[in-house]
Amino acid sequence: MKTKVLALAASLMAATALAGAPAHADVKIGLLGGISGPIAAMAPAMIDSAQLAITQVNEQGGIGDGEKLVGVVGDSACNPQNGTDAATKAVNIEGVAGIVGPHCSGAVLAAAGSVSIPAGIAMITPSGTSPEITTLDDKGIVFRTVPSDDYQGRALARTMKEQDYGKVAVAYLNNDYGTGLANAFKAEYADELGGEITQFAAHEEGKASYRSNLAELAKGDADTLVIFDYGDGTGLTILRQALENGFFEKFVGGDGMKSEAVIDALGAENLVSFVASSPVGEQSKSLDMFNEAFKGAGGDPDAIFATTSYDAAFLMALALEKAGGNKDEVAAAMMEVSNGEGEPILPGEWKKAKELIAAGTAIDYKGAAGDQNFDENGDVPGTYALWEVGSDGFEVLSEMK
Amino acid sequence: MEILGLVNYALYMAIFIAIYALLALGLNIQWGFAGLFNAGIAGFFAVGAYTSAILTSPAADGRIGGFDLHFTIGWIGAMVAAALVAWPIGKICLRFRSDYLAIASIGVAEIIRLVIKSEAELTNGARGISNIPRPAGDFGYMESQIAYLALVLGVLIVVYLLVERQFNAPWGRMMRAIRDNEDAARAMGKNVEFRRLEAFIFGSALMGLGGALFAHFNRSITPEAIDPMVATFLVWIMLILGGSGNNRGAILGAAVVWIIWSVSEIATDQLPHEYAVQAKYIRLFLIGLMLQLVLRFRPEGLLPEPLRGDLNGRGRNTKSGPANQ
Repeated sequence: MKTKVLALAASLMAATALAGAPAHADVKIGLLGGISGPIAAMAPAMIDSAQLAITQVNEQGGIGDGEKLVGVVGDSACNPQNGTDAATKAVNIEGVAGIVGPHCSGAVLAAAGSVSIPAGIAMITPSGTSPEITTLDDKGIVFRTVPSDDYQGRALARTMKEQDYGKVAVAYLNNDYGTGLANAFKAEYADELGGEITQFAAHEEGKASYRSNLAELAKGDADTLVIFDYGDGTGLTILRQALENGFFEKFVGGDGMKSEAVIDALGAENLVSFVASSPVGEQSKSLDMFNEAFKGAGGDPDAIFATTSYDAAFLMALALEKAGGNKDEVAAAMMEVSNGEGEPILPGEWKKAKELIAAGTAIDYKGAAGDQNFDENGDVPGTYALWEVGSDGFEVLSEMK
Repeated sequence: MEILGLVNYALYMAIFIAIYALLALGLNIQWGFAGLFNAGIAGFFAVGAYTSAILTSPAADGRIGGFDLHFTIGWIGAMVAAALVAWPIGKICLRFRSDYLAIASIGVAEIIRLVIKSEAELTNGARGISNIPRPAGDFGYMESQIAYLALVLGVLIVVYLLVERQFNAPWGRMMRAIRDNEDAARAMGKNVEFRRLEAFIFGSALMGLGGALFAHFNRSITPEAIDPMVATFLVWIMLILGGSGNNRGAILGAAVVWIIWSVSEIATDQLPHEYAVQAKYIRLFLIGLMLQLVLRFRPEGLLPEPLRGDLNGRGRNTKSGPANQ
């Protein structure tokens, strides 16, 4: 029986392998994303911005001796089953030299554990924010271009303490994003800084009314509600109902709450006491260069995780160039191309980077989403600011430390 | 290199097929033998995966567990835990018939998922548990995959032989009698409620075992893995396509569906570059289409239930599905 099954599997695979014999001069990287599944709406822009980096590489001389860089798109569907499946195919069938993705933390953990760590293929995720990825025993091959939730939660807590927010209640969406942020916030605000959190409650997404949750949260006389949720989803409902019923006076959100949908739905005049923390691309030249290029390619540069996806793909290309096509050295090279030392390379400056690498000069990539200097865990610190609602949408209120 | 890659991919697929085959065998006991429409496979899968993860992962702050036990204890624990969870659920829900049971079991699976996401002290909440040891995971990529496949296949073969034996034993005949005509079975003096509960618990334990094997293979388990699409409905498609009531059918169904699910992505990747994102949806369509075609042209599945279940599967007389008589 089993042999029959295996024979069937083998013959099917042989057939597909024959059908798709690729040109061998190409250097492939896997672009794994949650194309189907819960983040299906976000994934296309992320894939597109990664493809932009690949296009720029190819336009400016390609990899190595003018070889073409090819992005192989795989569907990790935001779950571990499809994440490992897509990663296995990318590594074994396509023979990729590195993986950009997957998008969701659960898929990252599973794909790292069962494929990329054993196979020694470098992996860089643009949106896996779980702190678990930091502590992963990954032999130094798992990177990310998005800060851990832990970082943002703690930075927000410090900033709020500085600005004398007193007693707060915390409402967070019950997924890895909301939980990660909320726990980091709580650890810093209450445990480290001695602030008072009166209520700390998770909520499920997609309900019509959160008034009972809010009534519960309002017990304990906090005047500030901290919301870790998405502003185009449940977070909007909670904010609206909290405003309508006057449960709280001030509102603070995480980066998910910094959504135009909040302003569109509630009106700027009702949001004077609302601030949200969100990454800023340091208003850098890097970000401008990315915005221009991505707009030119028909993309929306404000799409969530577009900048981190671009950085991840560009960094992967730089690391490949640095490693000279040797898959085993990509991870080490990744550390070298963005460690804060060397000639700065901005988004799109592939030709310059290539020449410098050929000359043996150290380079330092300054990404669209931040400087992207990796620490020993392959994590990056974020650059965050507190945003308030002004007449033209969100405006930076203050930098966060 | 190319060949090695293909072998690695084949090994990976075989491991996944074996894990899904365990789930399908568990469902076969419930639906194929006993006619219980369990739409909550994901729940028992999750109980098993998390139980084994807690028992075998290294100690961690902020949650119970990290007992660092041997993986065999984790796997046995997974089966016991899934069975223990199944017992009260079966006790309450099995009084419902077919479609009502389906609704209740979907609800139960959802409750289990939310408990897992919310009880951070037990399961580390939405972040999941990582750094779960994989048996023989210290070898190289291919060697460790081969070793794990050998383990998983060993488990699958033992389970298959045991389930097949039960199927052909008086117990199996009794279960089918209860399934096909409850009143007649009751008139013969069979304790229908108790037997149903037995099948439900037995099947759930296998699902728990499947979950444990999955968690150890990935070295992590997160609530994202309890997605009903990949942990419940895909298993149903496997069993219906392979042939419910036939253990080999369950295994064959797991193989066929997973191969089509996985390999179809390679096929759709041959489409032009611009359609890379859209092409991913074709395989969802393919799975749906396949189920429709099977239900239309071969409702009894690829390997139908043997009418007289003798040990060697001889006697190809078949009947067309549980609901026929």
